[in-house]
Amino acid sequence: MSAVSSSGWLYGAIQSRRNRGLGGLYLVVAAFLVLYVVLFPGILSVGGFSKFTQNWFPLALVTMAQALLMLNGGITLAIGPLVSLGAVIAATTMGGVFGVPGGILAVALTGLGIGAVIGVIVAQLRLPAIIVTLAGSFIITGVALLLLPRPGGFIPGWLSTGLAGHTPVAFLLLVLILLLWKVFLATPLGLGIYAAGDNPIGAFRSGVPVERVKIAAFALSGLLTALAGLFVAAQTGSGDPVIGAPFTLNSIAAAVLGGVGFLGGKGTMRGAVCGSLLLSVMINVMFFLGFPPVAQYIAQGLIIVGAVAVPELLKQWRARR
Amino acid sequence: MKNSENHLSTGLRSRLLAGAAAFAALLVLSTGTASAAANCIKGDRKAPYTVGWANIYSVPTWMKQTEGTIAAEVEELKKAGLVKDLMITDAQGNAQTQIQHIQSMIDANVDAIVIIAGSSNALDRVISDACDKGIAVVNFDSLVNTDKVTAKINTDSAEWGAGAAKWLSEQLGGKGKIIVMNGPAGISVSDDRRKGAQPVLDANPGLEIITETNTEYNAAPAQEAMTSLLFANPEIDGVLSLGGAISAGSVMAFDRQGREQVPITGENARQFLELWKEKGLKGWATMQPNWLGAFSVYTAVQALEGKDVPAFIRVPLPVIDDSTIDSYLARADKFPADGYIYSDYDKALFDKLLAQ
Repeated sequence: MSAVSSSGWLYGAIQSRRNRGLGGLYLVVAAFLVLYVVLFPGILSVGGFSKFTQNWFPLALVTMAQALLMLNGGITLAIGPLVSLGAVIAATTMGGVFGVPGGILAVALTGLGIGAVIGVIVAQLRLPAIIVTLAGSFIITGVALLLLPRPGGFIPGWLSTGLAGHTPVAFLLLVLILLLWKVFLATPLGLGIYAAGDNPIGAFRSGVPVERVKIAAFALSGLLTALAGLFVAAQTGSGDPVIGAPFTLNSIAAAVLGGVGFLGGKGTMRGAVCGSLLLSVMINVMFFLGFPPVAQYIAQGLIIVGAVAVPELLKQWRARR
Repeated sequence: MKNSENHLSTGLRSRLLAGAAAFAALLVLSTGTASAAANCIKGDRKAPYTVGWANIYSVPTWMKQTEGTIAAEVEELKKAGLVKDLMITDAQGNAQTQIQHIQSMIDANVDAIVIIAGSSNALDRVISDACDKGIAVVNFDSLVNTDKVTAKINTDSAEWGAGAAKWLSEQLGGKGKIIVMNGPAGISVSDDRRKGAQPVLDANPGLEIITETNTEYNAAPAQEAMTSLLFANPEIDGVLSLGGAISAGSVMAFDRQGREQVPITGENARQFLELWKEKGLKGWATMQPNWLGAFSVYTAVQALEGKDVPAFIRVPLPVIDDSTIDSYLARADKFPADGYIYSDYDKALFDKLLAQ
């Protein structure tokens, strides 16, 4: 009994310490959300909320995919191409004999498979993830273009309306995925991702199968990314072999914005998801403020720097007190 | 989002919302509008209008010039009391962001949306949502798949490719080794131009494609690509370049390598036209006129004013050859050094194109 309560206390203390580091980011995101509601009250309607969260959802997924690897001390530059490939596979298989279930399965297996292969190369051959995924990104882009040389393909209308209609299905899926992540973190494998990212040698000596954990992290990341591609295909009603390209950089930006470090073990998934929310809501807020495009480029940069600086300044201010 | 009050009875209005576009057009006609309404138009929006310009990417010079023609047209329409505001977005090349922007324009209840699409399919659903809300959607240059738009405006990319291939084939007497320079892979425009060229190439089996490559529509990457092709191919009789400043890059690559210039096709990039004159090239060029932007805004406003506009407006390709190049170069100083010298346009031309 006492063991449980003391571990509960430890858990609470760690969580509150990790949340404190994110306080500044939460503030910034909350401020933007409030501003958005003021500028466009329609966001509070079911339809408005659904459409907004649908536009955020794929970025949230790829940010999780990226954060998952960064927490483990890795990184991937293949996010964008893999989103495209996921969309292309969904759009080319769903019209086939196995229909939608077959399409979803094909996308999921492709994501898992490609992730696992990259993971094996990185973990077993001990090559830098950044190079392997860069090379992978070229190959995946090529495959996507081979499968679907120009935008097209087929997604059933009901799937598009179901996932990206006037209902907040995408948001509920995101909540579900975050809950699954919470559960996953309670498993040895989930804990291992953090442990191996923070201190690989220590983790290895404590019995964490560091290499297997790394492969699993890449595979899961690939799965999330490909599923983001599936959602993009449903949202747009078709496949596009190059639509994912901007996600690579945005996923890294959102994760870093959310306090995930490049060196592994540092950061939280909720922070990363918050970072992606900021990147997404920022676009809408700037639109409703009527910023001209050139100002949007500048404002975007300032907001990103600001969002990283505010938590840092808060920390210093707290330390001095 | 609620539509503003209109003079239609509630019963009629609900039928309007439920009915097909053609049916709706008939009903609007029966309420006293002068002519049949265009696609998406419900007749409940009144001037002055707010126009949204959803651009995929504002940085390339072609886009800046196009935005210039849009802004100029909006100024004209403001003077006429037809437009009150222009909202501009730049999706920074991200089709996903463009969806978000168009959604925001719907949320902001703009009256017209003018779009260059970042993907031929990805915007279909959000655009048809806009159309359902009675927003005049005019799509130009890079087109979407869906037909739930007020109008699509473009030149014919296949004709572009065919015209270029035909000219080159005539220049070479139907025989010779040629290099094909395409725009980026996976982009409908570059794909369509290339496809348009194919039947002409098939009809002239004497033309041998020694190699072909894809580059951005920019001089620097095209020059780099052509330079390496020149090293690999000692014998080249012609270059079928399919757009942008690719031709300029390719001419510069020939020049730097000290190779003799060969007949080359291209677009109205100022750099290319100047090189054409300077080097005495055998050249042919057409263009994607920047004023398609201005024309799209004009079309959207005409549709909102109750005029019927064609669902697809094909703009004939202007051709630049040795007989007309001087008239273009004479106006060169009015255009950016890395820009495109487009043909003249005015309201009379727009009305003529709308009447076809």
